[in-house]
Amino acid sequence: MSRQPAKHVRPMRKPVSRTPVWVTPLAVVAGIALLVGAFLLIRWYTTPVPPPPLNVDATQKVVTQITSIPASELDAVGKGSANQLIKPVSGTLLTGPKALPEVFYLGAEYCPYCAAERWPMIIALSRFGTFSGLKTTTSSSSDVYPNTPTFTFHGATYTSQYIDFVSVETTDRDRNPLESPTAAQQALVNQYDTSGSIPFVDFANRYAFSGAMYLPDVLSGMSWQAVADTLLQPDSNQAKAILGSANLITAAVCRLTSDQPASVCSSATIQALEKSLG
Amino acid sequence: MLAVLASVAGLAISVYLTVVHFSTIPLACPANAVVNCEQVLSSRYAVIGGSALPTSVAGIVWFAISAGLALLRRRHALLAWASIGLVTALFLVYVEIVQLGAVCIWCTAAHAMVLLIFLIALMRSDGDRVGT
Repeated sequence: MSRQPAKHVRPMRKPVSRTPVWVTPLAVVAGIALLVGAFLLIRWYTTPVPPPPLNVDATQKVVTQITSIPASELDAVGKGSANQLIKPVSGTLLTGPKALPEVFYLGAEYCPYCAAERWPMIIALSRFGTFSGLKTTTSSSSDVYPNTPTFTFHGATYTSQYIDFVSVETTDRDRNPLESPTAAQQALVNQYDTSGSIPFVDFANRYAFSGAMYLPDVLSGMSWQAVADTLLQPDSNQAKAILGSANLITAAVCRLTSDQPASVCSSATIQALEKSLG
Repeated sequence: MLAVLASVAGLAISVYLTVVHFSTIPLACPANAVVNCEQVLSSRYAVIGGSALPTSVAGIVWFAISAGLALLRRRHALLAWASIGLVTALFLVYVEIVQLGAVCIWCTAAHAMVLLIFLIALMRSDGDRVGT
């Protein structure tokens, strides 16, 4: 009797559900979207609100206050916490419209480092002359150190018997064009500001610096009046930074004016800083 | 193949940004309160470690290696490489949004290529784990 071969029976397998292939990538994309949302939240939370601009009288009050800081306080601060960026340069003496040694400034209203450096520039240059027409502004809202309170040299005038001050603010805080350097001014920048940084300040082709001597974050979230008030406290971070920078600028200008006026340049602090300029 | 194409696209973007950095060719990019390529590419983060080398050079290297790994079908190596690229891209996005408050559309396009390559590598790697 023949026998039929046994049929091979396949074992039953329980179907296993598999994660759809799109789940993992979607989870990654969702995670990245959450991360970007977190970045936006951090940006929003850490961006100081720009202070409302000051009217003419309030601006003048602040300017008068910061340009009336006693010499004794400036001397007490000395170099403060400012970084010494002023370097000697060589070239034909740069003179301005009144044939006086010229201090040339190139900056822009959007620039936070320019915003920081205008405070000590105004304080220092006011020891040699008088500004008028200064207006308040803040640096760009969409840059590092957003909304740094400052002034603008655009539209302002400066008179002095010792130096000429010439400024060029290339754009406003929204990066719209304002002023352009002349060909001669651009040549100075090309020669002495090889990094292309702003602010750039040339002291009659005898000294020059670019950048800010202190970080703008010390002014973060402050009003102009609040900054001016802190300058009356020599131990404040703002005083050490701003007045220290102002003293360095003063020393450079004193070199141009043969230490005139003596009431400014003959102080031991300024004399010591002049020596450090090289 | 898609990973190779994404790598080539990223490579082209990186080369373009590098050429713009070293030449006077104007950057094709709008400028407004949010999108501002000039602001991003002139920041200190636009160069590698304070050197004169633009960050886009690192992008050229990264995308070139990514293309090579994709062509050689080295899936796990590509996933590891793409992970490094993704972390770096996220850091640069953080810098744009939090530090600079401005976005560079060319940089964003390159970051999108990095993400695409990562996702492709992840899906291929997942396919290997699950098996046939």
